[in-house]
Amino acid sequence: MTSPSSAGHRPLGDGDWHASPDTLAAYARGQAGQADGADQADGAPAWSVEAHLAECPRCRSALSAHVAPERLARNRSVLLVRAALGDESRVKRALGRCGFPDHVLRLLAATPSLRLSWLLSVIGVLAVLAGEAAAARYGWIPAVGHGRVHAAGPGRIGGYPGQGLAPFLLVAPLLVLAGVAAAFLPAFNPAGRLEVAAPCSGFTLLLVRTVCALGTALVLVVAAAFVVPGPGWLPVALLLPSLALCAFALAAATVVDPRAAAVVAGILWAGPAAWLAVDHVPLLIAAPYAQLGCAAVLCAGVAVLLVRRDRFEWGWMR
Amino acid sequence: MDEMTLSVTTAAVRVDGLSRRYGAIRALDEVDLTLERGITGLLGPNGAGKTTLLSVLATVNEPDAGRVTAFGLDPRDAGERREIRRRLGYLPQELGYHRHFTVAGFLDYVAILKEITDRRRRAEEVARVLAAVGLERRARTRIRALSGGMRQRLGIAQALLGQPELLILDEPTAGLDPEQRLRSRELLSGLPGDPVVVLSTHQADDIAAICPKVIVLLQGRVHFAGTPAELAATAAGRVWAAGERDARAHLSWRGGDNRWRHVGDRPPAGAELVPPTVEDGYLLLSHAAGAR
Repeated sequence: MTSPSSAGHRPLGDGDWHASPDTLAAYARGQAGQADGADQADGAPAWSVEAHLAECPRCRSALSAHVAPERLARNRSVLLVRAALGDESRVKRALGRCGFPDHVLRLLAATPSLRLSWLLSVIGVLAVLAGEAAAARYGWIPAVGHGRVHAAGPGRIGGYPGQGLAPFLLVAPLLVLAGVAAAFLPAFNPAGRLEVAAPCSGFTLLLVRTVCALGTALVLVVAAAFVVPGPGWLPVALLLPSLALCAFALAAATVVDPRAAAVVAGILWAGPAAWLAVDHVPLLIAAPYAQLGCAAVLCAGVAVLLVRRDRFEWGWMR
Repeated sequence: MDEMTLSVTTAAVRVDGLSRRYGAIRALDEVDLTLERGITGLLGPNGAGKTTLLSVLATVNEPDAGRVTAFGLDPRDAGERREIRRRLGYLPQELGYHRHFTVAGFLDYVAILKEITDRRRRAEEVARVLAAVGLERRARTRIRALSGGMRQRLGIAQALLGQPELLILDEPTAGLDPEQRLRSRELLSGLPGDPVVVLSTHQADDIAAICPKVIVLLQGRVHFAGTPAELAATAAGRVWAAGERDARAHLSWRGGDNRWRHVGDRPPAGAELVPPTVEDGYLLLSHAAGAR
């Protein structure tokens, strides 16, 4: 480092001292990058120069003379882009610390369809809970959750009267399906054509988004299941039907239009579930054989999805 | 080495017997063509199959019949298709922007899709393409606040991410003002690495200005493939000027000099023939094909 009038190396932070032209030139060439700095042009290591530059406008200005204008312009553009991309959210930083790759988090955060999916999940769950509460309050459905007071029989599983839970049981898996469908339906993704033409695997993209949407929707539905009066195992019993329904919809989307797949899956769920509700046995959904059936559908759906995953690579333009 | 042999040896993209239907509509009908490095212009009226052809070349649309290879890679194979996409830049006709995105955010998103996972490299690449299309000062602007021309330039920018070897641009100059069109010509003709560029446009003067090769697609078939000069030459002797409108012409318009310019198959005897343009050649071809 030099003073304005003399050459020499002095400790940093001294306001009277400035980096010499040789030091700045070496730094601009990227040759002041060794910590010991012993063999550098002016003996100043990169960290030392950087620390000084951060405090000294005069040396920053002098440095620009040693950098090609194109490189300066390029660096300025990169800085502008990084500034435009903004700071990371706390959630993203926390997930990053947990080992999630930055680009995956950015992909998820930037996927607009997922915002819709999350919004749908929240609104749906709140709406069902409000509806359930209102229906019980005004006596449209019998109140539930008053303990194991009834013997097992038609309409009851494990001693619980199920008809009061019918709306929730009917709708909860559909909410999960809606959340996932919003994450993969082309209608909610205006940049779909670009995504199809990108080397990033469409199937991988689908899985990442689906898992994310599924996770959010499931967490909400399961949390709501704890709030709704009913058997303690209800949240767990809802998992398999929800997962099976989504796996079926995704597998069907490899064969037919994804919108049709989502609608068909919804109808296939709503039909039997409505029948069970009308018959006052909605908790049969939680019965072991029904759960086994859901597990079978889930496995079959995943298998079809894996075998036919190539359909997600071509896009949905046929 | 004759032209045919040269075409075979240097073709980066080959299309053989390509057909694609949408229900009863035959969008592409046994299309054969080769594309070399450099810019190839694709001319054709609306509904001629240009967008379908480009989407098949971009591997986003699957043909009913025929074969496409790019750099020797076959998109029917998943691995090879992915490799093609790694070398691809694609501007669809309807890009479909996420309107809440900022310019930089959108490009960053597309860069991730293009497997540029390193954050620093992504920022550099986004800055590079923004500078290339003159939008570097708009990095923070939301896409919904951009004008139509700026959005089109943003579309071109995303296609340029990753310095693609195969650049497919579906009407990139639509909505651009004259200066922006000239700048896009400058940009496309100066791309580094001599990529294969396929440029679909309705602007015949863009083709004449920057494309060494032009393909005319009519009713799903290739009706012409050659240089712009050759396309113009197909109209030689069929473009004439006169003081009055001539009913024998397929198309006539009065120029700034108040004289009528006629394009047709049968100029009158002693007509004042004028040098044809690419546009004249295209008009006569499309008329002959009954596409208009």
